[in-house]
Amino acid sequence: MAVCIAVIAKENYPLYIRSVPTENELKFHYTVHTSLDVVDEKISAMGKAMVDQRELYLGLLYPTEDYKVYLCNIAASPCSHTFLHRYGYVTNSKVKFVMVVDSSNTALRDNEIRSMFRKLHNSYTDIMCNPFYNPGDRIHSRAFDNMVNSMMMQVC
Amino acid sequence: MSRQAGRGTESKKMNSELFTLTYGALVTQLCKDYENDEDVNKQLDKMGYNIGVRLIEDFLARSNVGRCHDFRETADVIAKIAFKMYLGITPSITNWSPGGDEFSLILENNPLVDFVELPDNHSSLIYSNLLCGVLRGALEMVQMAVDVKFVQDTLKGDSVTEIRMKFIRRIEDNLPAGEE
Repeated sequence: MAVCIAVIAKENYPLYIRSVPTENELKFHYTVHTSLDVVDEKISAMGKAMVDQRELYLGLLYPTEDYKVYLCNIAASPCSHTFLHRYGYVTNSKVKFVMVVDSSNTALRDNEIRSMFRKLHNSYTDIMCNPFYNPGDRIHSRAFDNMVNSMMMQVC
Repeated sequence: MSRQAGRGTESKKMNSELFTLTYGALVTQLCKDYENDEDVNKQLDKMGYNIGVRLIEDFLARSNVGRCHDFRETADVIAKIAFKMYLGITPSITNWSPGGDEFSLILENNPLVDFVELPDNHSSLIYSNLLCGVLRGALEMVQMAVDVKFVQDTLKGDSVTEIRMKFIRRIEDNLPAGEE
């Protein structure tokens, strides 16, 4: 299941960020922030080839284990092997989606992540079509919140 | 839409997103131009009225419906033919008043509001108020004075959109309003 979902604007400032254990919010901000470098790297490395194929999904950015440490220290929850995987997705307009996924118990299949991103992308498109939303503003939308919540609840 | 092609009975297709976004742009521009929501509602109604008084000619020419004998028949024509022709939806007619002069149109989905979420600072905005004006204007041109208003709106959290129409009186002379 997803523990953090973020939408990052073209100019690399956050449009939307939401994480499940809300007390760790800042931590996730850092996590997402550091992922952006990897995203940029991936985009420039793939270069033309990716643009031609219109492949938006960047795949696994990198796995980390530090969430486990954090959980033990702060939330004092039972120490399990919690792996966090970060996945990236970038639209043709260079808006980035970053998802941090807790995959300690189940290994998520690639196409599941892919379909989650597609859902996120569709939802984002709907937001953009809302005449009251100004492009570039932070996203305040009940529909988007609900969709993100459902993705975080979902046990894959 | 192309005027040169002549008006047949066939309906021309238009991309619904383009339509929805165009209407959205119109409403948000009005929101920027006017100070408060009441003024925007009024303006939308006025614009709708101006559309309605023109649209009725187009509607009568294309649909070949005859004169309606009572208000129930009018309601049927509005819901089953007019809404179908211009918005591609068929609202249901319910909640007739005992006197038969008032009814509700229930819109399961309103194509005008497809992507819209009302922000908190526009809570009294009646987003689709244009429709009320259109209905009022169109019926006025066929000698019916009606009162049209929204009583439920999906944008405000209701499960359906409900437009309440009330028949006021027949307009006896054929002069349009303001020329007496």
